[in-house]
Amino acid sequence: MRYEVTLDDRSVRVELGDYGRFTVDDRAVAGDVRETVRGRQWSITLEGESHEITVVTHDPLRLDVDGHDVRAAVVDERALRANRGAAGMRTGRVELRAPMPGLLKAVHVKEGDRVAADAPLATLEAMKMENELLAPSAGRIAKIRATAGAKVEAGAVLIVIASE
Amino acid sequence: MYSDVDRDALHVRAADAAYAIGPAAPRESYLNAVRLIEVARRSGATAIHPGYGFLSENADFAQAVADAGLVFVVPAAAVQRLLGEKTAARRLARAAEVPVAEGTEPLTDVAAARAAAANIGYPVLLKPAGGGGGKGMRMVRKEEEFETAWRAATGEATTAFGQPALYIERAIPNARHIEMQILADNIGNVVWLGERDCSVQRRHQKLIEETPGPSVDDRLREELGAAAVRIAKAAKYENAGTVEFLVDEGRRFYFLEVNTRLQVEHPITEMVTGLDLVALQLRIAGGEPLQLAQGDVVRSGAAIECRITAEDPRAGFLPAGGLITLVREPAGPGVRVDSALYAGMTVPTEYDPLLAKVIAHGRDRIEAIARMRRALEEMRVSGVPTSLAFHRSALFDQDFVTGRYDTGFVERWDARVAPDLSEGAISAAALAAVLATRARGERHALPPADPPWARAAREDALR
Repeated sequence: MRYEVTLDDRSVRVELGDYGRFTVDDRAVAGDVRETVRGRQWSITLEGESHEITVVTHDPLRLDVDGHDVRAAVVDERALRANRGAAGMRTGRVELRAPMPGLLKAVHVKEGDRVAADAPLATLEAMKMENELLAPSAGRIAKIRATAGAKVEAGAVLIVIASE
Repeated sequence: MYSDVDRDALHVRAADAAYAIGPAAPRESYLNAVRLIEVARRSGATAIHPGYGFLSENADFAQAVADAGLVFVVPAAAVQRLLGEKTAARRLARAAEVPVAEGTEPLTDVAAARAAAANIGYPVLLKPAGGGGGKGMRMVRKEEEFETAWRAATGEATTAFGQPALYIERAIPNARHIEMQILADNIGNVVWLGERDCSVQRRHQKLIEETPGPSVDDRLREELGAAAVRIAKAAKYENAGTVEFLVDEGRRFYFLEVNTRLQVEHPITEMVTGLDLVALQLRIAGGEPLQLAQGDVVRSGAAIECRITAEDPRAGFLPAGGLITLVREPAGPGVRVDSALYAGMTVPTEYDPLLAKVIAHGRDRIEAIARMRRALEEMRVSGVPTSLAFHRSALFDQDFVTGRYDTGFVERWDARVAPDLSEGAISAAALAAVLATRARGERHALPPADPPWARAAREDALR
């Protein structure tokens, strides 16, 4: 399962695999994870560095990271997909929406292009990071609604894909 | 003694005897003088120590305690009444040759007040004549704002202290809030124990205190100490007390008021003097003369106190109640924690949000700061947001570290600055965030519910 995690002004992708494997921003991470207080506190050692993360409040999510206060938010893959797809499914059109407000740095496709699922369609700069926005499904680019260099709001439709 | 919501509070468990005094609402419990005295009698107590909240500065209560034949561990009612009347206290200070900021007697007529303010020169402060502690106080920057401010302050003074009268005082810009701890016995001995700088405050509520004050040199300290002793003698003061001053940029000082009780921040004075102020209070109340002359008071090193409250500094210090699920308090050389915290405690919303006081003592200010940083980093509280985020960053703030801060420090503090985390810490935090969310079995839909903090974080990111 994949997750988009926001930590203050950073955005991080986390993927939990089987047998405790996980990746952070697509890099496999060798970590020893111990839950020290159930559902509240974890001790995580990564390459010899020891980190302690404590949940200060669950809703909204606030963490104490090694003695630093951090605001966090977690969105899972299903929620990401559901949101991307929800508006378009009935008409056979899928919309790529901005998952967060930011600056649209680049659009990598043009109207009429055929794209595979998960193909990079655009780059959104937000939380001081460049985020690749991937195609929610395979199809043909029906409409490009935003131009590179524009500021976009969360949920704004950027690209419409006609599914084939 | 405890109100219904404090049944599970730590002080009840630590006490030898505990008595319920009524419902959560302060008026029906902690402010219910009749009830308190009745419980004191029933318990066989011979004295009442009022701590530092509620009725600790209430002259009527002091009188009622005395009338009941009990000892109240604060100055006598007459002294409390005299010093509680703020303009009377100013007159007393002037007579004792202690400087006071230019100001007026209590006023009720708005036209006269306006003329007086113009005469003093703006900015001015409007202060309730009937009580202190910053309640109902207002700054007026220019004449056009005067009448609106006057009306509001009059209303607040009536609500808080039962009388509308205000007095006007010249405002002192960029002042530091310095207070002097004194001890006085029943036979006229008075000593001063040293100052505390309490300038790190928000809406007149202190967040960090330290001693010695970084801006106070030996000469100023001696002057403040001598001034505090003169005021105490003139008021025939007894027991522990604190004389508050404002110190301006030119190191001129002005008498503010006397707090006729123990202060929340008394531990820092205990740390540098090695004296147990509460024990001394009890001895004085028991009629013992001070075993301490001014020359016997030795101050060693520096001490800092951080008041950890159930307030979210990154949401405008919004207070929050709730269930505390995890607590780790710091320890180690020079670290003291006076705390009400334990895992399983419910923070009540009825009272002050103070949870714990973390106090660090070192050979000098640099060591005290280092120990405080370490202590704050070690501390964990889970369940409610706390002021820790503010304190942790304040202890690294250049203005604080260099000791060049004033009462505007908290206002200038930037709640939006995110901590600088290592790559490893970010990975670990991201993973823990996922595990915490899964543990809760929550599914967040996109776009997420848009709480103000999330919006603020994004707006910052776009800047």
